[in-house]
Amino acid sequence: MLEVRRSDVEYPDVEIVMKINGELKKVKVKPYERLIDVLRNKLGLTSVKEGCGRGECGACVVIMDNRPVPSCLVLAVRANGKSILTLEGLAPEGKIHAIQKALIDVHALQCGFCFPGVIMMSKHLLDNNPDPSEEEIREALDGNLCRCGSYLRFVKAVKLASKYLREGKTYFDESEVLR
Amino acid sequence: MYMSSVPEYIKIVEEVFDKFKGREFLYIGKDVRRWDAVEKIKGKSLYTADFLKFYKNAVFVHSVRTKYAHALIKSIDVSEASKYPGVLKVITAKDIPGINDVGYVIPDQPLIADRKVRYIGDIVALIVAEDQMIAREAESLIHVEYEPLEVITDPLQVVDLMTLKEKPHTLIHDERGSDVLVHYKVRRGDMEKALREADVKVEGVYKTPFQEHAYLEPEAAIAIPEAEGGVTVISSTQCPFDVRKAVAKVLGVPLNRVRIVVPAVGGGFGGKEDVANEVAAKAALAAVLTGRPAVSIHTREESIIGHSKRHPMIAWYRHAAKKDGTLLAVEANIVMDTGSYASLGPFVPWRATVHATGPYKVGAARIDTKAVYTNNVYAGAFRGFGNPQVIFAVERQMDLLAEELGMDPVELRLKNILRVGDETVHGQKLTEEHGVGLEEALLKAVEASNWSSKRMEYRKAVGPLRKGIGVAIFYHGNSIGVEGADYSSVTLIINRDGSISFRTGLTEFGQGSTWGLVLIAAEILGVPPSYFKVENPDTSATPDAGPTVASRATVMGGAATVIAAHKLRKRLNEVASHILGCDPEDIVIKAPEVYCGSDPNRRTVWQDVVEQSFWLGIPLQEFGYYRAPRAVWDEETGQGAPYITYTFGAIVAEVTVDMETGLTKVDRIYTAYDIGRVINKVGAELNAEGGAIQALGYGLMEELIHDKDGRVMNPNLSTYYVPTIKDAPEIIPIWVEAHYRKGPLGAKGFGEPSFNAVATAIANAVSHAIGLPVYELPLTPERIYMMLKKAGKI
Repeated sequence: MLEVRRSDVEYPDVEIVMKINGELKKVKVKPYERLIDVLRNKLGLTSVKEGCGRGECGACVVIMDNRPVPSCLVLAVRANGKSILTLEGLAPEGKIHAIQKALIDVHALQCGFCFPGVIMMSKHLLDNNPDPSEEEIREALDGNLCRCGSYLRFVKAVKLASKYLREGKTYFDESEVLR
Repeated sequence: MYMSSVPEYIKIVEEVFDKFKGREFLYIGKDVRRWDAVEKIKGKSLYTADFLKFYKNAVFVHSVRTKYAHALIKSIDVSEASKYPGVLKVITAKDIPGINDVGYVIPDQPLIADRKVRYIGDIVALIVAEDQMIAREAESLIHVEYEPLEVITDPLQVVDLMTLKEKPHTLIHDERGSDVLVHYKVRRGDMEKALREADVKVEGVYKTPFQEHAYLEPEAAIAIPEAEGGVTVISSTQCPFDVRKAVAKVLGVPLNRVRIVVPAVGGGFGGKEDVANEVAAKAALAAVLTGRPAVSIHTREESIIGHSKRHPMIAWYRHAAKKDGTLLAVEANIVMDTGSYASLGPFVPWRATVHATGPYKVGAARIDTKAVYTNNVYAGAFRGFGNPQVIFAVERQMDLLAEELGMDPVELRLKNILRVGDETVHGQKLTEEHGVGLEEALLKAVEASNWSSKRMEYRKAVGPLRKGIGVAIFYHGNSIGVEGADYSSVTLIINRDGSISFRTGLTEFGQGSTWGLVLIAAEILGVPPSYFKVENPDTSATPDAGPTVASRATVMGGAATVIAAHKLRKRLNEVASHILGCDPEDIVIKAPEVYCGSDPNRRTVWQDVVEQSFWLGIPLQEFGYYRAPRAVWDEETGQGAPYITYTFGAIVAEVTVDMETGLTKVDRIYTAYDIGRVINKVGAELNAEGGAIQALGYGLMEELIHDKDGRVMNPNLSTYYVPTIKDAPEIIPIWVEAHYRKGPLGAKGFGEPSFNAVATAIANAVSHAIGLPVYELPLTPERIYMMLKKAGKI
């Protein structure tokens, strides 16, 4: 019979520093702790969704140092010193980003669980390719599963967002969308 | 006698339907944003697991599952695990204070297995620990002694397909004395005579697979202990009142000690109908036994091995017809694999049986359906509920028959489909009031797709890439029919500031059902949807509205909404009439404006009418209750009126098949649906697209596979394939509106129908492309390749 937990003895806490949505955050984590759990449970950033825990569904995608990563497959210690963007940090208070506006415009929303990942992935695409073709959009979002099947609207929305961005419209007032 | 006359609520729904006939709508059938669009798009909507961030001292519940798919439990020793640091409690069957059962329809499913295990997902103990890591570490310290039994994964080991007799085998539910769960029948007409008069007969054996829901949000529940032995559970469920019942039963407390709250739900599709009971009960048990908030969240793998699936079907069919295509008879033996537990298994085969001949006039029919237990993962509700399976068999048969007769598949269908005045195979006469738009749907799909020329042209193709076009039609009984008490309810509360609270026990799990109800209330009251706040379903805040299943939210919840809104509107008209001095019937409400129709200068504002109502003592809250007219079903003959009405549809699919690899690409799907009045236009379009894409998966790639020991071979999303954005074809939605007079403003249900016939239309298109009949789904590249190889085509 074990006297103490294996996890306590073998894995003491580690302190890491990350820049999250523009703000420096210090967090104590276990060496085996996943970035997704730190973001969700320790920092309250619950836009990051866990759909599979194996990097297969795309719901937990965040942008780490300008690269999209499934945060369920990233150990928190590996995020030490990195800059991370989640959906919460995509637009200033009271505003929404062009991609969010476009997804609402084309009525893409169903259950919404895959959306945070889809939005982050789309942002990464548009950051690197301001005017993607339909094929490029499908290629970029191939790792984001949407079981409600809003796929065709994702294609439309990314095209529309690309138009907004090229017109210089990055952010929209939330109140404008609510009408 | 009580309720011998037509209840008031039935009359109101018809009265409102007649009143709005031909009127221009403001919100019904228009592009209106969802109430939760901005919250969800910002990632601020909270789903069940997200609430964990508010409970810092929550404990985790880990399910210890069986090693064997079929075994007797000889002993279980949890003493070592109980002492592991960080473990608060290990719960076994004997610790359950109430009744150890979470069976949805019949009590055949223990929450924690005690005597035996029947499938690979069965739970033998729950470890409650400070965190998930500890719980997993402690799992190796639980010692269970099993006596393995013969594992049955093939339903044909339980019954014979042609005789449907039970075979000798190791009983899975020995306590029942039989592993045949149900037997349903349809008997109509003179079968012998029909077969004698027939010019042609076609027959075949058809197989469909286990399908996994793969909703993106895995199952989750968080339970908070409350006073008097009670508990509040935040639950990802479609049916909060069923969860309440299950939790109360397991805890052994009255229903009013259990409160279930449903936040945003990340997909359901039928799958969150019953597993939610198990997950909530696990969290509730842990919360009550430890006195701390408790969380139960399934991993994806647990979700796949531990919740219901679409029933696989094996069916033998024989169709008989005259030379001119007139359908004379349909015979079928249908075997459905309900897996280890009944779940919704008593109902799914019933719906399959009712729909087993398709939407056709059939003179003679003999249908026998049996659902049997196996040691596979249990099967239950999944969008379509037994209908997609029989549609595959029936619509493949119709294509075979057309080929045999040298007729075009559309022509053969047009010759036999149900129209107003016809009787269904159950002897239910379809009237104008039901709304029967099948012919129109079929003709529109055929026209839009340019069917005739493509059907001729594609067959001539040579070379490795072959195109095909296929059609499939269906009907789908609305709501639950004779499965149970068919009622629903909503509460509308106009607040003192003029804002409106909308409450119902129906849940919104993505497809927008509640949104349609808000549009109905907005239209009748004359206020914009932005005035409404849809509250989370909460069993302590709203009466039971029945389950959110069976495409019933719009048709049943919508009828309840019509009643509540109509009654409120009547009172508001009277108050406005009191203020403005014109007749109550003359009052126009276009909030914030309220005026007399005959003299628009006599006007006031919405807020004033609300305030005046308050001072006059006119209550501005209303409860709407609706119960469907009773369904009729004779168990021996399958005759009666099984459903209140039917949704109809016709699908045309176009595919390209690579003859060298067997890979199918779906190019285009035309979906023509008669859903009565289109209430929520955006929701209907999303459903048409989403249902089609899910069904594309069913048709081409999705199949949960068990090995001979009952283990699931593909329990995650990298081995169980679902369609991605690259698979999504062009989808052309077409609407036919044959109004159902007893429905809310003429609406019928659409949640499941959007799935029903798409896989079969694709299968028929594949068959057209490769020039071979298909008998089994999914049509994976391997399966098509082997068919081509066997036929000597490659």
